[in-house]
Amino acid sequence: MSTPMKTGSALARLTDMVDAKDRYDVPPADLLNTQLEAANDLFQDRLARIPLLKNRAEEGHVTSVRSREDLVPLLFAHTAYKSYPEGWLSDKKWDRLGRWLGTISTNEVKDVDLEGVTNIDDWLGRLEKVGHFLCCSSGTSGKSAMMNSSQADLAWNRKEAMNSFAWGSGSEIGDKRKLFGLGPSATAPRNNAIRDALIEGFTDPGVEPFLYPVPPITVGQITGMVALRKAMADGTARPAEMAEFEATSAARETMMDRAITLSAEALVADRKQKMLLSGMYANLYKIAVAVRELGYAGSDFHNENTIYIGGGLKGASLPDNYQDYIAETFNLTPERTFQMYGMQEINSAMPRCSAKRYHVPAWLMLLILDESGENILPASDGEVEGRAAFFDLSLEGRWNGVISGDKIVADYNPCACGNHSPSIRDNIGRYSDLPGGDKITCSGTTDAYVRGIS
Amino acid sequence: MSVDTPTHPLEQEPAVAAHFFVRGKLVTDATVRHQSRDLGVDFTTPDIDLDQLIQPRSELPPLLDVKVDDIIDFLVETGECLALDRNPYMQEALERVVETNPLPRRVVENLYRGASFLLERSMLTSMVASNFANPAALDGWVSRTDIHGNSGSVRAFPPRMVHMLAGNSPAGCVSSIAQGALVKAINLFKMPSSDPFTTVAVLRTMADIDPDHPVVRSMSAIYWRGGDETIERTLYRPQYFDKIAAWGGGPAIDNVIRYLGPGLQLVSFDPKTSISMLGKESFADAATIDAVAEHTAEDATLFNQEACLASRFVYAEGDRKGIEQYCAKLAERLAVDRETASAIAPPVPPEMREEIEMLQMVGGEYKVWGTFDGAGMVVLSDERVSFHPTGKTVNVVHVDSLDDAVPFVNLATQTIGMYPYARKEVLRDRLACAGAQRVVRLGSAAKHVLGGPHDAMYSLQRFVHWMSDEDV
Repeated sequence: MSTPMKTGSALARLTDMVDAKDRYDVPPADLLNTQLEAANDLFQDRLARIPLLKNRAEEGHVTSVRSREDLVPLLFAHTAYKSYPEGWLSDKKWDRLGRWLGTISTNEVKDVDLEGVTNIDDWLGRLEKVGHFLCCSSGTSGKSAMMNSSQADLAWNRKEAMNSFAWGSGSEIGDKRKLFGLGPSATAPRNNAIRDALIEGFTDPGVEPFLYPVPPITVGQITGMVALRKAMADGTARPAEMAEFEATSAARETMMDRAITLSAEALVADRKQKMLLSGMYANLYKIAVAVRELGYAGSDFHNENTIYIGGGLKGASLPDNYQDYIAETFNLTPERTFQMYGMQEINSAMPRCSAKRYHVPAWLMLLILDESGENILPASDGEVEGRAAFFDLSLEGRWNGVISGDKIVADYNPCACGNHSPSIRDNIGRYSDLPGGDKITCSGTTDAYVRGIS
Repeated sequence: MSVDTPTHPLEQEPAVAAHFFVRGKLVTDATVRHQSRDLGVDFTTPDIDLDQLIQPRSELPPLLDVKVDDIIDFLVETGECLALDRNPYMQEALERVVETNPLPRRVVENLYRGASFLLERSMLTSMVASNFANPAALDGWVSRTDIHGNSGSVRAFPPRMVHMLAGNSPAGCVSSIAQGALVKAINLFKMPSSDPFTTVAVLRTMADIDPDHPVVRSMSAIYWRGGDETIERTLYRPQYFDKIAAWGGGPAIDNVIRYLGPGLQLVSFDPKTSISMLGKESFADAATIDAVAEHTAEDATLFNQEACLASRFVYAEGDRKGIEQYCAKLAERLAVDRETASAIAPPVPPEMREEIEMLQMVGGEYKVWGTFDGAGMVVLSDERVSFHPTGKTVNVVHVDSLDDAVPFVNLATQTIGMYPYARKEVLRDRLACAGAQRVVRLGSAAKHVLGGPHDAMYSLQRFVHWMSDEDV
């Protein structure tokens, strides 16, 4: 058990529930006082340690947390994790980036050896040596968010991932399955922790997992794209550089196509084994098509197969029946299909139940705000629609409260599945995807002149 | 792709009513309900009758045989009638624009009051004179003979134009109307959702002077949701239009580009940013610092910094101490109430605020003056910040020499305010090479030499259809 270091007893009582059977089953009213006590303990401890929190507290005149309302001015917008100037990354200003990271981290960013650091992957490696494990979101057109985790966070990720998967997938810790990683991954400490949790908890140690035959994307490769875009806007990108980037993308595309075939062949070869599949819908769909083209589906596969589905569609357009198509291909039943709602900004997942709703665990406070993110919505007897914000008591390496970009419909009343935690409907959207473009104005930046590269 | 706000069937009242003006006739039905993009305010419009918008190519343009001088007379008279205090259409438009446009009422009022200046005779004649080597080509066929003795004639024939208007300057439509009239075009104005009123008010003013005037009959102004394929796929065809004059960039332009092809061309007034450059002389003494700060503030606050003319980055060479003094003064001057700016502009947007707060916490080379409430902010740094300053925010970038500022100039740089003025001559070739379009004295970004180019082009000569008649 990796209890966060400042162990107010309220906090420990809540995070210890990670192993409790009723972790998604306690009515929110029964938890609120303990949660607020734990939140206040964290607030008092972090106030002097996280500079941005100090700003928020001063501005919101918050000196202690006594109610859910007190938390609202203290929440960080998800964009706070990408508030660094892009130029620091492309110009390799590691020292300044370190100072920036310090303003949003619990632990001081110091003693980082910057000698010989030539790219962001090097820098991330040096940070890990002094206990800062950064998760970077993979925004390909915009900036990457960078979120600091401590060693304890990673241990928690591993534990929490194992338990939430068991709860939501009908699997037992100790199952002897073969893991199939069916999508390209990004190298991030948290992703690795979750993958390791799945392997440790649910696979046969004697069977080598199938890892997707495409090298993981590094943060450097992702931010390289961002840096190139900036260079294009500044007019400093050379045509040869852009052509090279296009060629690299094309090569990766070919590798991705090949990986679909290789995965389908491996799945067919091992079809009699009990599997744990892991991937995202867009890629899983392509692999399912390839498997069917090889002449296999349904009962050709083991009837206790299970699947871990990460993320949503990410803009991919698939036929309406894609979920059924994938399930039928690999002989998956709904109760063995694990889906969860979560985000890089928080440490905990909300697994989906049999009634297709996402459940909020005891150590995670769900706050539903208005669209502006400034006010908490009044309590309601039924479902409430608004902007999702969370206070994740399990977080240690950075501030626990964050406002997301997600539009959700949630309910604090018991769920049809029988569990009593707050739950979120399976129709999560993003505020940024809502209509509202087409602002015509004569003022603007070079962005309007930058044609992307494929 | 749909990139504007959704269009709903009309369900509830009240909503602000926007009218159409179609080839000289006012259309006032309230059939369709829309939502304005910036403020999310509902407004109603009539249905679009596509057939009415298009004049068949078998008919000659109404303005073909009207002399440019007569058109100018009519425009000048229109300008005089636009006076806000006497013009009920402009008064009504003002009331409605303030509902849908983020600009404060007083700034819109001042823009309306300045609109007649855009239709002054001196302005219009100098536009024609600077755009056409021989303006007679607008009124008829002009003959010329080449060095081999072959002769022929040319005419600047009236085009068929769509004008996609920008929403950030409600009086901008007056310039577009003047341009369309001077080239004798058949014009369709696509109004923005943040101001679906002003264009129609100006055209109604014209129609009151003479409802049958060929200028009036050459003008239509309507609104549709930008990106609405049912309209754009139909209208944006070379059979119907020759040119699309578009203000703005981003999704609005991406949309239009899909329809371009042989015979349908884009004349784009691109999104621009403006900057200032200050030589070390600017910080010589307290009096100079005060004056330079005031002039910078004049340029930076135009339309609460919504305009492309408004300066956002100041590149300053010299000692840090003097520059810091200047920054403090500039923050004070940004907060001043002006003809084209309010003392308190809309507050700094949250993401920008986050970056500024972060820079404040990081400290060191970064220093911040001012407040987040819209009164204005100054961020001093040793390199350009990565956000696009808005809401009366100026990033002062400390450089060793103005030579180091030139690489920050690019094709999106419109106006560069310079102090001392003599530096313009030293730097202007390099600024042009980098993509800039205009270099001016600090503090006079909004003042113009009449008849000058806009966005590095003489647009009227690009609008017309140059037809040639040859006797060889």
